[in-house]
Amino acid sequence: MKYAYYPGCTLKSYADNLESSVLAVAEKLGIQMEELPHWTCCGTVFSQADDDLVHQIAPLRILLDAQKVGAKKLLVVCSMCYNTLKQASLLFEKKPDKLETLNLFLDDEDDYLGEVEVVHFLQVLRDEVGIEEIAKQVVRPLTGLNVAPYYGCLLLRPQEVAFDEPERPTVIEEILVALGAEAIMDPLKVECCGSYQTVNNKEIIADRTRTIINSARSRGAEMIALDCPLCDFNLDFRQKESEKKYTDFFTMPILYYTQLMALAMGINGDIYGFDKHYVDPRPLLKEYELI
Amino acid sequence: MKIMEKNSSATEKEMKEKKPAEVEQAFISVYIMGKEHRVPFGLTIMKAMEYAGYRFVRGAGCRAGFCGACATIYRMKGDYKLETALACQTTALDGMYLTQIPFMPANKSVYDIEKLNPDINSILHLYPEIARCVSCNMCTRSCPQDLEVMDYIQAALRGDTEEAARLSFDCIQCGLCTVRCMAEISHYHVGQLARRLYGKYYSPTPRHLTERLEEMDEGKYDEAMDELVVMDKENLKKKYWKRDMEVK
Amino acid sequence: MEIIDGYPDFMMESIKKVERTRKSRIGRNLPRMSSDQREVILSKFHPDYKEHEKKKLQIGPNKGYRMPLEMISLLEAEPFLDTSKVDLSRVDYDVDVLIIGGGGGGTVASIWANMSGVPADRILISTKLRHGDSNSMMAQGGIQAADGPIDNPPIHYLDIIGGGHFANKPKLARILAMQAPKIIKWHESLGVMYDKDKEGNFVERPGGGTSRKRMHSSKDYTGMEILRVVRDESINRKIPVLEFSPAIELLKDDMGQVAGAILMNLETNQYYIVKAKVVIMATGGWGRLHIQNFATTNHYGATADGLVMAYHVGAKLRDLDSVQYHPTGAAYPEQIVGLLITEKVRTMGAQPVNMNGELFVNPLEPRDVEASAFIRECYEREMGITTPTGMTGVWLDSPMIDIVQGEGTIHANLDAMYRMFQRFGIDMTKHPMLVFPTLHYQNGGVEINEHCQTSVKGLFAAGEVTGGVHGKNRLMGNSLLDYNVFGKIAGINVAEYIKNVKIGKLTLDHVDKYRNILRDANIKSKVKAPMILPEYREENLMKRTIKV
Repeated sequence: MKYAYYPGCTLKSYADNLESSVLAVAEKLGIQMEELPHWTCCGTVFSQADDDLVHQIAPLRILLDAQKVGAKKLLVVCSMCYNTLKQASLLFEKKPDKLETLNLFLDDEDDYLGEVEVVHFLQVLRDEVGIEEIAKQVVRPLTGLNVAPYYGCLLLRPQEVAFDEPERPTVIEEILVALGAEAIMDPLKVECCGSYQTVNNKEIIADRTRTIINSARSRGAEMIALDCPLCDFNLDFRQKESEKKYTDFFTMPILYYTQLMALAMGINGDIYGFDKHYVDPRPLLKEYELI
Repeated sequence: MKIMEKNSSATEKEMKEKKPAEVEQAFISVYIMGKEHRVPFGLTIMKAMEYAGYRFVRGAGCRAGFCGACATIYRMKGDYKLETALACQTTALDGMYLTQIPFMPANKSVYDIEKLNPDINSILHLYPEIARCVSCNMCTRSCPQDLEVMDYIQAALRGDTEEAARLSFDCIQCGLCTVRCMAEISHYHVGQLARRLYGKYYSPTPRHLTERLEEMDEGKYDEAMDELVVMDKENLKKKYWKRDMEVK
Repeated sequence: MEIIDGYPDFMMESIKKVERTRKSRIGRNLPRMSSDQREVILSKFHPDYKEHEKKKLQIGPNKGYRMPLEMISLLEAEPFLDTSKVDLSRVDYDVDVLIIGGGGGGTVASIWANMSGVPADRILISTKLRHGDSNSMMAQGGIQAADGPIDNPPIHYLDIIGGGHFANKPKLARILAMQAPKIIKWHESLGVMYDKDKEGNFVERPGGGTSRKRMHSSKDYTGMEILRVVRDESINRKIPVLEFSPAIELLKDDMGQVAGAILMNLETNQYYIVKAKVVIMATGGWGRLHIQNFATTNHYGATADGLVMAYHVGAKLRDLDSVQYHPTGAAYPEQIVGLLITEKVRTMGAQPVNMNGELFVNPLEPRDVEASAFIRECYEREMGITTPTGMTGVWLDSPMIDIVQGEGTIHANLDAMYRMFQRFGIDMTKHPMLVFPTLHYQNGGVEINEHCQTSVKGLFAAGEVTGGVHGKNRLMGNSLLDYNVFGKIAGINVAEYIKNVKIGKLTLDHVDKYRNILRDANIKSKVKAPMILPEYREENLMKRTIKV
């Protein structure tokens, strides 16, 4: 399995522990990920904010970069990038006139032919590698560890970009079960984390984070596993605000699902970046003798 | 030896009338701000404009491709593309419609380099508009130094100061990127900040320099210098010619 | 005439000869010249030794000194300003420190004056073109500083003095050598990106006439990198700059001290009166005088205005009999004739060779010696190559750099040079460059003491406009150093100086007096000075211009 891989900026900065754990897991599972030799910003949600076609240039350029290296599929890890690129590729598919306009505008470049399929890492794990294969690679099962999955919005909404049931996704649960952990079913797993409100309105995030974490805890969760770097920032770092605001709030470790996969697969090395988390997950992991 | 800056004083007509046999000099038409001028082929845009009678106050600086004063926009007759050039480093061609950018009102942040806390957001804080980049690549296309301008803005956006510094290093700050940016980014100021951050915070001062400064603070070379400054010419000459050379 | 890879076919034939000898030249160089050999070649071939190209100045404190005709013409010219039309009662800018010149020296002086306690809004930089437009911006090769383990400032001092033919002012040369490591440290703290190796040490190279490898560089954009950083710093400090407003005369007060300047707005032609407690002259050099009709590496505004203005107030000049010709100006293609090919090209291993590809001089002689050897090769031995437009030059065998130091070295270190030639279809990694000496530097200038004071009270000076630091010949890498060191010293010293200054009634009497001196000496010149900008418009066209 060989993929052209688009990392995006967050995986090269704040969420470098997401990238390092993804790469380690991918290697273990035989997924070859080749980073695009040239890449730029995906355009983030700016490209969704209005119908100004010019904002689609950024994602179009990434798809072109992928086309240039001959990729049929472009593998994305960051949910924000996935959402942006997937929506753009669907737009170009559905509205060829718009693609043509942009191709004419970028007249120094090859035309984008609309043939690159954007896929998320979770999709590859489920559909290409297979949950059974993941289970086979487990050498240190996460037995007894109670983990609540959290999806956020960017993987599943709008419905067209979703590769799982938008209201009741299960892919992270399936993986957690394969790793030997207890997957806690929590209805708030697709609730909004507050997204970019985190910049100007920490209060909102403090409330959302408290609600989401308390809900998970009330169902027996000891930690949350998620996929999105922005959700991670809000659910992990903004616990500081929740703590300040609510005396009844207690912190909970937040990990990427790939960090748990790497642990279960017995991958050692400098890939986890546990010190980058606001809530240190190590005491809990030690309790279960996972580190 | 001759002054190469000074143009020949003969006009096209005179040259052809005086010595038709010897004249091989081809003349071309350039359009300076829309007005047609006949100039000899083989001049830079800058010299062609001077030949046509323009005296530069703005629009000329080092005349050697280092200062960015002569940022020029042109379009070839019949072509839809707007091209960019440095007037002092580009040969004038037949059918060029030329104009210069005498000044670029670009946004430069004012900051105290000592007080900046270098992290992945320090450039974004001072130039938040870089987040408006839509990757149109017009900046790269307009750069007369052929730099990957969009890529250094993108590097700055994701907090990669070293890459932004490296990719922007040859920038002559002419502002042509900034003129054409639809996101209204002042690229060359962003590059300047990236390089200063990198030079100051990411590239440590070598130990041998610090050690030399310590020695000098202790006065290690004062005595030798005191002797040298009062030494008579003959002894100085002897010393000079006897000095050993690290590179032969 | 067929053009192959940017060169006409007959030049390509000579290049083939260069290629044939290249291998045998690797690792081999002619020995450096002895003291006697240097004197012989200089006196025979250096343009400075052509006595008919100079004459004695007839007026002022330097009366009787020999200087190039072009300089004499400006010093004996009619002052440009009509003093009767200036109203001194209305002062436009009243500041503590006026800095004339927004290049390297002026900008560094502004920062150090500010750091030494002069508030930013009490400083004013006036500059002819844009802030930063200067020779400082164009310097490529590097800056010297004796910070290496087998080097030290006294060795640097010897190189400076010997390179300057022992005519330097010793105290100034000492300051230059001793301040150098401190300047590099200061640049590091400002964020100048010097080239460093994998261990983080400076990459240091030799230069013509230096006995140690002490050239610090930033690729071949060293001048640009330093200046854009100090300019950024000056802007961050909010130091006011008036662009396109050069000074045209200094002001004095009734006690005889310099007290400001008259500026001229080049776009509206109105004058401004700046009253100041002290003036720092930092106007740079004289390349655009095209001495002896040489092409120049200098920027558009390098017209010796500072020398003229300083002489009008009676400041002493020195060492202006010597002109620096950089050995390697471009001689082909026509569009870039005279532009600088950095000395770094030679220090990195490119040898100068003649039309047959033969060595004729060691590549690392001081500039005046190297330039003289080029002229001898072209005009006495007739072993140069003449271009279709009549320039004669010798080859600088640049492809050797990548051969000796590894492929990619030129791209990593000489990007500006590569780009300059590539724009005209020539690839310097594959083919040599044709070079001939070009007017590069004003070795002498306004005399200063170790505090950057001139002989006139209230007038300080720093950078290329000054004389004494380099004697009769400046070494590579000492001019960037010069403007940083003496800009710093000027800035620090004016901050102290202004504490005890009172300015009296402003006057321009010295300009009228100068006119009288010219008349008394029976000098009738049609030239007006300062020059401000050179004239490159066509003569025929000029005859037909109408003054409105």
